[in-house]
Amino acid sequence: MSAVTVPPTTGPGHLDHPVRPAQQAALPALPPIYVAGTARLLAAEHPTVPARDRAWLIAAARSVGLLGRGGAAFPVAAKLAAVGAGASVLVNGSEGEPASWKDRVLMRCAPGLVVDGALLVAGALHSRRITLAVSDAPSAAALQAVVQQRAAGDRVRVVLTDNGFVGGEVRALVNGLDGHPAVPGGRRVLPSDRGLGGRPTFASNVETFAQLALLAALGPEEFARIGTAVEAGTTLVTVHSPGHGTSVVEVAHGAPLTGLTGTDTGPVLVGGYHGTWTTAADLRVERPMLRAAGVAWGAGVVATLPATTCPVGEIARVAGWLAAESSGQCGPCVFGLAGIARDLIALVRGQRVDVTALRRRLGLVAGRGACSHPDGAVRFVATGLQAYAEDLARHEHGSGCGRPVLGALPLPPATDRRHRDTAPGRADDEVRR
Amino acid sequence: MSRQLRIDWTRCDGHGLCALLFPERIELDEWGFPILDPQGLTEADLPAARLAVRSCPRLALRLERTVERPHERPHGRANDRVSAP
Repeated sequence: MSAVTVPPTTGPGHLDHPVRPAQQAALPALPPIYVAGTARLLAAEHPTVPARDRAWLIAAARSVGLLGRGGAAFPVAAKLAAVGAGASVLVNGSEGEPASWKDRVLMRCAPGLVVDGALLVAGALHSRRITLAVSDAPSAAALQAVVQQRAAGDRVRVVLTDNGFVGGEVRALVNGLDGHPAVPGGRRVLPSDRGLGGRPTFASNVETFAQLALLAALGPEEFARIGTAVEAGTTLVTVHSPGHGTSVVEVAHGAPLTGLTGTDTGPVLVGGYHGTWTTAADLRVERPMLRAAGVAWGAGVVATLPATTCPVGEIARVAGWLAAESSGQCGPCVFGLAGIARDLIALVRGQRVDVTALRRRLGLVAGRGACSHPDGAVRFVATGLQAYAEDLARHEHGSGCGRPVLGALPLPPATDRRHRDTAPGRADDEVRR
Repeated sequence: MSRQLRIDWTRCDGHGLCALLFPERIELDEWGFPILDPQGLTEADLPAARLAVRSCPRLALRLERTVERPHERPHGRANDRVSAP
């Protein structure tokens, strides 16, 4: 895909480097795309990807500190080392996180890099089967076109899935692709042990495969020319900021978070709806550094709220959605998240709520489910209420903050929601009413 | 080698027998689902723990050896434990 020249505009935040929209006009259905500094994933042209063997890939991934880009930030070298020859390859592009756009942007802007990365890994692992799982038709079409171009249709299948947030979790995805309900299993069996068709599977997010393609093409030294010594190269971030709306930015690791959000903001949500609200200063885009600061980078979502909205209401709205997205298997997730959402909505409506009980419930859900959905959901709510403690107090003790709930945090349209009539929490609608 | 109880949350329906049979280490939350004592089990706990495991009508409770499985704790899960605000 060739670059489209667009007059320079200002992106979100105050980036150190000039910000330019990349390839935007050709992709009208996507949010605006910016590159801060060097474009790699979103470059107009991509290098040819040579074949590399497994040992080379493992050593290279280790030396540049490559971490998985789906949310768990698992070391890619360890994941490659965990599967033997003949493992299946699963590329997860399902992007169930409603606040994230970066995977769809990548698949539409650089489908070649994704497919080449998948073929690279398959070559290194002597895999015969590659599965690309995607939940939107334009991304599937873009990938399918490259698969045909590479004459790889015999080895690669592109599958359209529609499993929602929890269904995009890799074990749920594997179950869904194998024809079972797309929910996580009760035992934490990893795809590297038993994945697609019960066979060992190397599964990772689309961006991980694109990064591996770049790594194979550039070599570890050139790859590490940008980024930090701990985590080299670039990453894609979905940024939601008041005044700029949603955008996707490719940024080098080590860039200050304020470069994306601006400095004059309230608390920053890092990591999406399983993420962490933080007021910490001096955070940088580097997964290990953020982890040390108690912040999970997750799927690479950074969001700030406008000062005109009710933050407790925004958190309640997303909490209601998270409760409804529970796959309904595990009691603490089903009842806990619904109860938490109900309490929050009551607070927003000015009803009396036992906040001590709410706090207790928030501590009772994490670690008590088959997947990390309940953990992530309470992390989002608990850190949000902590960051907006003053607003919470106004709702708890007074008549509220007086601001409307603008719905600044994006949620999928109601008609797209699964479990609508069966899930416990339909809090989102209740807030709007 | 210590042992610990594990719950398959996809199976547990909150019958509550485990908490009745092993109240020293298992209590129930407000929805009737078990909360396990995070401390590992001692040798003296094992008979009651085994009884609780055997009695679970959903076969949701297991007794496991405590082993560090590093790849179950990926990076970025730093704050699995969230403190309430």
